[in-house]
Amino acid sequence: MEGKIKKIFKRLFYTWAPSSGKESGQAIIKNFFLHWFPNKSLKRSLSWGYSLWLGTASLSLFIILFITGIILMFFYVPSVERAYWSVKDIEYVISYGWFLRGMHRNAAHLMVAVVFFHMVRVFLTGAYRSAFKELGFRELNWLVGVALLLLTLLFSFTGYLLPWDQLAYWAITVGTNIASSIPLIGKWIRFLLLGGNEISQNTLIRFYTIHVALLPSILTLLIAYHMWRIRKDGGLACYDNLILNSKKVMTNPNPTKTYSLLGYTKGKSIITFDYKLDEEMVESSPNLTVRALIVFLITFFVCFSMTLLLKTPLEEPANPSVTPNPAKAPWYFLWLQELVADTTIKIGDFTISGGLVGGVIIPGILLFLLIITPFIDKSPVKSIGVWFAKERRKQIIVFLVLIFLILILILIGTYMRGPNWRLYWPWESWPEKPVNL
Amino acid sequence: MNEKRRTFLKKLGIGAFLASISGIIYTFFRPFKPDVLYEPPRRVKIGEPSKYPEGITFIPENRVYIIREGNSFHAISAICTHLGCTVQSAKFAQAKKVVSRGEEITESFEFFCACHGSRYYGDGTNYSGPAPRPLPWFKLYISPDDGQLVVDISQEVERGTKLKV
Repeated sequence: MEGKIKKIFKRLFYTWAPSSGKESGQAIIKNFFLHWFPNKSLKRSLSWGYSLWLGTASLSLFIILFITGIILMFFYVPSVERAYWSVKDIEYVISYGWFLRGMHRNAAHLMVAVVFFHMVRVFLTGAYRSAFKELGFRELNWLVGVALLLLTLLFSFTGYLLPWDQLAYWAITVGTNIASSIPLIGKWIRFLLLGGNEISQNTLIRFYTIHVALLPSILTLLIAYHMWRIRKDGGLACYDNLILNSKKVMTNPNPTKTYSLLGYTKGKSIITFDYKLDEEMVESSPNLTVRALIVFLITFFVCFSMTLLLKTPLEEPANPSVTPNPAKAPWYFLWLQELVADTTIKIGDFTISGGLVGGVIIPGILLFLLIITPFIDKSPVKSIGVWFAKERRKQIIVFLVLIFLILILILIGTYMRGPNWRLYWPWESWPEKPVNL
Repeated sequence: MNEKRRTFLKKLGIGAFLASISGIIYTFFRPFKPDVLYEPPRRVKIGEPSKYPEGITFIPENRVYIIREGNSFHAISAICTHLGCTVQSAKFAQAKKVVSRGEEITESFEFFCACHGSRYYGDGTNYSGPAPRPLPWFKLYISPDDGQLVVDISQEVERGTKLKV
């Protein structure tokens, strides 16, 4: 009965439907929207527990940001006189403006966090290397990932100025002054970034254009490249691990390829071997496509709920002569602000600004470590694609300690810094009149 | 001979191509260095000296403090030398003596920065928090045409340089 209904349904709504595994693979490869998926996928790489699907979640957030961002562009005016008031209109006048702005803001915050944890996942599974050099070069994709993380932060930073409220103005003041503490070229970089000596119309239009045109284009291209490389590197790293643990089976040494694209090729026939992984593979449609859709829906749902539950802040209009007390950077930069406040070194009369130590040197070293990590990690290949492999215990401990320190600094900056950047316990109340010398 | 001429022309061609490409690329990037800044002027008239009360006055447009002690005036920057937040002044009920850069001075106010907790004595000397340098003093003079005070925040002066009126 059920079979009959299905048959009728297909007759009515399909001119053609896949009837075998091969055909359903073809259906994916020939479809414009689905062609970036492989024909078949490894069961393990589809499991929730191996990859946690954080890359897909990041892409989902980027899609949400892209769509809400374009709509917001119709209403936002990037001028010093009107920026704040247009954001106020988006929040209070335009139908569902509050919702779109909230979705955009929450997705942006989530994206920073999700991209960061995506990197943590890749590190903890040792997935930034290839077990077989001839099968791939994941080191390169790790570097692309680091670039994507930095671009995500830059995205967030440039977007932060746009509401032109006190929060925006002072976060960008602190941020760009960190850049100016780079020796020799720092002042010059700040001047170019701001388009002047202070945050002005030039700064706003620069940040706006970078935020809505330059970064989206670069990020779109890089994401496409990042995903293409996953395929070309032989899928997720757990695939390498599976091959290491399975036996090579020779197939018949038939001449498998005697034609090239340009005609008949001379030479020896190619001898192929196989790992007999058929049992480990499943069709990508629907196994992969449906999971990707579920991840998108979960991501959307989280964003949606945050937007309904949290108020999107908008402070007073930017006022260059009044610094709010305390003035805090966005949370993902608070560990830097904390470092910047703690690392001024005084040796007699000689002072090295915390802006240089905590704002440039320490993050510079961390970034350098991130870049060279896959190249200096010489642990055995069997640790690739395995969570918390015991062969990589040292690397994992060092990495987790650094991550932990950054998270601690963020928590201190968020919950324990009060007026004049003094330490307060989260349950302590701040003095009503902060001027207290 | 012919070959030489050919390679020379080839090099010339490549050179001309690279030069024109760099010229075009230069026109892409040069606009980002502003030629005109629509910012508040760095040298501004700030009114008659007599309108300033004894003690400290903040001028928000230029982020500078004007300090009057009887008939002497001086100007101290309000931009924190750490990361550029605006420093606030806090007045004391009673003047107190502090040792700043090896000298004993009497101060009736101090500066502090809300962003990262830097503190400065009344003469702008940093003594606590992450600020790497003292707040600079700016040039102050009387405009010859109408007798107004002029502050020039593009010109720093030595600490202790005061204008007598």
